[in-house]
Amino acid sequence: MTKRITTMNINGAEHSIQVSPSDRLIDVLRDQLGLKSVKEGCGTGDCGICAVLVDGKLVNSCLMLAAQCDGRRAVTLEGLLNDSAMKRLQANFVTNNAAQCGFCTPAMLMASWDLARHSHEPSNDEIKVAISGILCRCTGYYQIIDSIRESCKEGGH
Amino acid sequence: MSEQVSQLLESLREKAERGNLLYIGENIARVDSLEKVLGKPVYTADLIPRGTIYAKLFHSSVPHGIIKRMELGTAKAHPGVLGVLTWRDIPGLNESSAVLPDRQLFSDSIVRSTADILGAVVAETLPSATDAAARIKIDYESLPAIFDPLESLKPDAIRIHEKGNVARQMKIRKGDVQAGFTKSDLILEKTYRTQFQDATPLEPEMGLAIPEDGGIKVIGSMQSPHHTQAAVAKVLKLPPEKVRVIQAVTGGAFGPKSDETPFDVCSAAALAAMKYRRPVFCGLDREDSMVMHTKRHPFVISHKTGVTSDGMLQADESKIVGDTGAYASLGVFVIVRATFHTTGAYEIPNVKADSYLVYTNNTYTGSLRGFGGPQALFAIESQIEELARKLGMDPLEFRLKNMLVPGKKNATGALMDASCGLPQCVEKVVASSDYRKKAAQYSNQTGSVRRGLGIALLMHGNSLGPEGNDYGAVHIEIESDGAISVGSGLTEYGTGAVSGMIQVASSVLGVPLDRFKLERPDTSKHRESGPTVASRVVVIGGNAAFKAAEQLKRKLVPLAGEMLKVKEEDVVIVDGIAFDRYNPSVLVNWDTLVAEAYRRGVKLKEEGFFMAPAAPWDTEVGQGTPYVQYTWGALATEVEVDTETGYYKVVGVHAAYDVGKAVNPGGVLGQIYGGTVQGLGYAMMEELLHKDGFVVNPNLGDYYIPTSMDIPAEFKAFIVEVPGPLGPFGAKIIAEPPIVLPGPAVRNAVLNATGVSVDDLPVTPEKILMGARQSRSSLPARAQR
Repeated sequence: MTKRITTMNINGAEHSIQVSPSDRLIDVLRDQLGLKSVKEGCGTGDCGICAVLVDGKLVNSCLMLAAQCDGRRAVTLEGLLNDSAMKRLQANFVTNNAAQCGFCTPAMLMASWDLARHSHEPSNDEIKVAISGILCRCTGYYQIIDSIRESCKEGGH
Repeated sequence: MSEQVSQLLESLREKAERGNLLYIGENIARVDSLEKVLGKPVYTADLIPRGTIYAKLFHSSVPHGIIKRMELGTAKAHPGVLGVLTWRDIPGLNESSAVLPDRQLFSDSIVRSTADILGAVVAETLPSATDAAARIKIDYESLPAIFDPLESLKPDAIRIHEKGNVARQMKIRKGDVQAGFTKSDLILEKTYRTQFQDATPLEPEMGLAIPEDGGIKVIGSMQSPHHTQAAVAKVLKLPPEKVRVIQAVTGGAFGPKSDETPFDVCSAAALAAMKYRRPVFCGLDREDSMVMHTKRHPFVISHKTGVTSDGMLQADESKIVGDTGAYASLGVFVIVRATFHTTGAYEIPNVKADSYLVYTNNTYTGSLRGFGGPQALFAIESQIEELARKLGMDPLEFRLKNMLVPGKKNATGALMDASCGLPQCVEKVVASSDYRKKAAQYSNQTGSVRRGLGIALLMHGNSLGPEGNDYGAVHIEIESDGAISVGSGLTEYGTGAVSGMIQVASSVLGVPLDRFKLERPDTSKHRESGPTVASRVVVIGGNAAFKAAEQLKRKLVPLAGEMLKVKEEDVVIVDGIAFDRYNPSVLVNWDTLVAEAYRRGVKLKEEGFFMAPAAPWDTEVGQGTPYVQYTWGALATEVEVDTETGYYKVVGVHAAYDVGKAVNPGGVLGQIYGGTVQGLGYAMMEELLHKDGFVVNPNLGDYYIPTSMDIPAEFKAFIVEVPGPLGPFGAKIIAEPPIVLPGPAVRNAVLNATGVSVDDLPVTPEKILMGARQSRSSLPARAQR
């Protein structure tokens, strides 16, 4: 298949990348750009742990083709490491034992950060909805929910 | 002296009083939490170097058959393909088995299930390998197949393995059940069934093999690197020291990663790496993982139980049949645990149990969190509930009369001592759930939406017990800059247990956990420490870490005494500061102390080794003390059921576990929350469906595990601490137990809400509705249409 140049803004930097029509966004992020926080748990859009933000919307990067991202903005956890709201979330995840095996953690943090942008005092139900697309098999979600609630309270974005 | 300084001194003095318990019971951040929240590239698939090629496993498409012909030409000719490996490419032993040598890595002549692996396509890219694997054609001569373990037990059943269809048999003979039944006023016989559960670690099984110096380095997602080393070495026909296995950070495990699948992916990657002299990655996608790795055994458990009219249990006879699928795997130990827990947390004077681990042509089952406990406890706790109802007794009162307390004996005849914290656990959940008031209130509901409470009690034998020698080694090295490096063959895969183990060393040494770092478990550096299973890291590894820390302290304390010019016995180390306990104003800090040790050439590297005391039992009668200590627990769940649709939800969970001593309470709560929710999945929705030996729903769209929307709004968790004899500071295990009770607690709650007994897991709305239709009298008028 012929490769085409796709231009994407990823974590704030412009990238021109050679992609095949069938290349998934997750593979371009992980393999070409080395953004390994993006995890693959199923490849069928069911587990949500490959979640990244594209034009501000949380998407499963295993279900999106890289070619669809031409001219768009993608953000991964690596792009938010200096963000104060993300740092609050990370600190609370650590304090509350919200990361066990850690495999869903980057996606959970992305979904939480996305929620924190819109809501400073989310209810438990709102938090549950915000992370409902991301599976966690270790924590039973409670310590994650506590971490998100505390982070939002401490000041969203 | 400034106020700050005197406060610091006061705090040091106060902490010095705590002795070795210094940091025990504190919620300290895990040693590995930072790399996780930063999204660091630490998992196997993150470590794939440039130039890596890919191995894709392919598996059988019949449940039982003779391989007649493998057509590999099309796959080999596929663009990017380097070759196809089959049994012919194995230089060593074609075996991938944990205990019994009943399973081949790549089947050579017979396939016994659709999970049987036939080979691996090796290609430059993963898509190329995957596409080529789909083009492989295999002709089979189909053989008759068995999918029901009870059918497999029949004398005229076809033989799945030469030695017969029973992989392991177990029994318990305690007292005289006939005499017990004679004494009984009521005898109840019922059969309970459980389903296949998939562990679903979010990271599937992965192995990366890299050729190096005449041998191979394997990096993978696994629980037991030394066992993987032995398995790979056997396949490659290499001495074990030529196979170096490193456990990468592992994204969840829950059992299957201690079983045979890590052997499969690592052996296949290693075979290809040796053949093509290139790094090879072999990872399972979700579907392959759900088909090929071990699941939780479906069990059929029948109980015949006798009780006197005053509610005292007299006798229990059980038949336990576990479907191990085509291979035994760690199932040979799962059946042991299930058998020894057949009467759960109750004293029954006369017990007879016969259990069978049975081969079928289903995909194979093996190790999964709880390890036979969830099935055994579902059956006995359901039976207890049914008996209470038949007696017209409150199920809680019935349990209180018969439950194990100090002085009583369990099914193996082991005498419970003062370390049995079951009564305290029950007290907590009864109070928290307001059980007595609510049970009375819910006993006469009339609407179509009804509530019910269900209760279940836990006894969980700790660590390996009858499953093997229970030992572990931990080494600790203090580096010249004062950083403390800890290594062990015991692994971390999510629970935080290794962090808890290090917290023990941190507490004994008097140095905060943030000065510690964890070495990746590496067979070339760390001593074989048995499998990392049975939640045994804090209990067994913690004791080894305790010893290593004590040995280091014996070197550092005299040195600190010399530097402080005080007697050795007056030296304490707290928060990385050594001082005279009677005069804390004279201090030596950790870095200075370590630097001085280095200057004098004191070696600061120690290994601690711990072996649990023997747990003897008689195999003929299943009597003895197969476990050195037990974890105790109680769970109350409250459900709300719409009796017109069968739809229900768990609205409240009240859990209490006696963990002896909570080394890290936040970590313990994490296990209680996480294990309970995984257990609620098992109770309510999870079922890996098999049809004629094929897995019907091997994906996360059709196999449901709990999402954030499925968890109960109310979850009250309590930690009870009644010290046990085995673990450091009295600690008992906690990672596995919380998955055990949700099955029966939910089932019993639904029964109490609706009058419907669901005797096969999971408890689905369909089963509730079907049950309700069969017993309409217990339902409100509107639902009787």
